[in-house]
Amino acid sequence: MSAERITRREMLKRLIVAPVGAAALATLPVREGSAAALQPYYEPYFVAVLWEGRTRCDSLWRSLKGDVVAILPTVQGTTPYDRLYWTGYALGSAPVNVNMRVLARAVDHNGVPLGNGWRAIGQAAIQTPPQRWFRVEIPEGHWDEYRLEVRSATPRLVYSRVIASQGYWKE
Amino acid sequence: MPVRFLRNASELADVSWETPLPVQVTNARPVPADTLLVATTTVTDANRDLLGSTATELPTLDGCMQYRKLVWFYFRSGAAATTYRVLARATDHNGAPLGAGWITLATGTLPGEANTWGRIEIPASGDGYYDQYRIEVWRTAGSNYDLTSKIVGVR
Repeated sequence: MSAERITRREMLKRLIVAPVGAAALATLPVREGSAAALQPYYEPYFVAVLWEGRTRCDSLWRSLKGDVVAILPTVQGTTPYDRLYWTGYALGSAPVNVNMRVLARAVDHNGVPLGNGWRAIGQAAIQTPPQRWFRVEIPEGHWDEYRLEVRSATPRLVYSRVIASQGYWKE
Repeated sequence: MPVRFLRNASELADVSWETPLPVQVTNARPVPADTLLVATTTVTDANRDLLGSTATELPTLDGCMQYRKLVWFYFRSGAAATTYRVLARATDHNGAPLGAGWITLATGTLPGEANTWGRIEIPASGDGYYDQYRIEVWRTAGSNYDLTSKIVGVR
C-alpha cells in the first residue's frame, strides 16, 4: 500500500493522463465490507443522524433542542426507524446527574398528531463520573415523532447526537 | 501502472486489498415502514373493526403479506373498559380467503385511560406475513368514545 498527498490540480492532471479503463475495472480488488465505512450513513444507508448539538440543561424539562414547549417534537419523520440511539457527553468537572425522559406520538397523513400530549416511553437518571460518555437506546420504534427531554439540578452542557436505525436484519 | 483513487479528499491511494475502491452496497435495502391505515373509530358496545364495520368477514387491512409486523398506534379519548381482538388469515392467488373465519392473534383489554396513547405490535412475538387482518374493538362498560388509530406495516 502506498499513499501520497497531492493537490486537486495534480490529481486532475493524473486522472486525465491515465484514465481508468473499463476492462481494468472488472478485475480491480474491491471489498464490500468497506462500503459501510466509506459512504455517509444517511440515505440510502439505513442509519440516519436525526439530531446533533448542544443542550443547556437546567432545572426545567427541556427538549434537546433547548425549548420548554411541551408540544414540540425533538425529532420528526421517524416512522421508518426501528430504534433510536442517543449518545452524549456532559461537560464540567462535577459528576453528571441528568434526568432524561423520552416521549413519543403518532401523526396522521397531514402530520397532525392523533391526539393531545405524548406517550411516555421511558425515564431515567444519567449518572456518570465527569466527562464520560453516555448512551441511551430507545427500542420502541416507528413512532412518528419523539421528544427527548433533559433536566439537571446543576446546570450542565451536554453535547449529544441522536441516530436512528431502520433495522435491516430481523432480530 | 497502478490504479489509484482519491481518498480523504486530497489523498491518492493505490487500489489494493487494504485500500479497496469505495463501493456502494446495492443489495442491501433499508426496511421501509408504510402507513397502512389512519382512522377514527367510535367505540361502542358492538363488536366493530377499526373501520367501523360489524361484518365479521371483512378485513380491516388487506394485502399485508409483505409485512413482518404491524404496529398499531392509538389515542383513546375515553376511559371506558374496552376489549380488542386482532384476527388474521391468508388468501389465495385471487385474494380469496383460504377458508372462513380467522386466526386470533391477540385479544385483551385495550391499555390506557382517557386521552392517552398506546402502542401494540402485531403479532406480539414472531413474524406476521398474513394477508389480511381484522382489528376489532368494543367497550364492555362506560360510554362511547373515539379511538384514533394509525397502523404502520414494517417489512
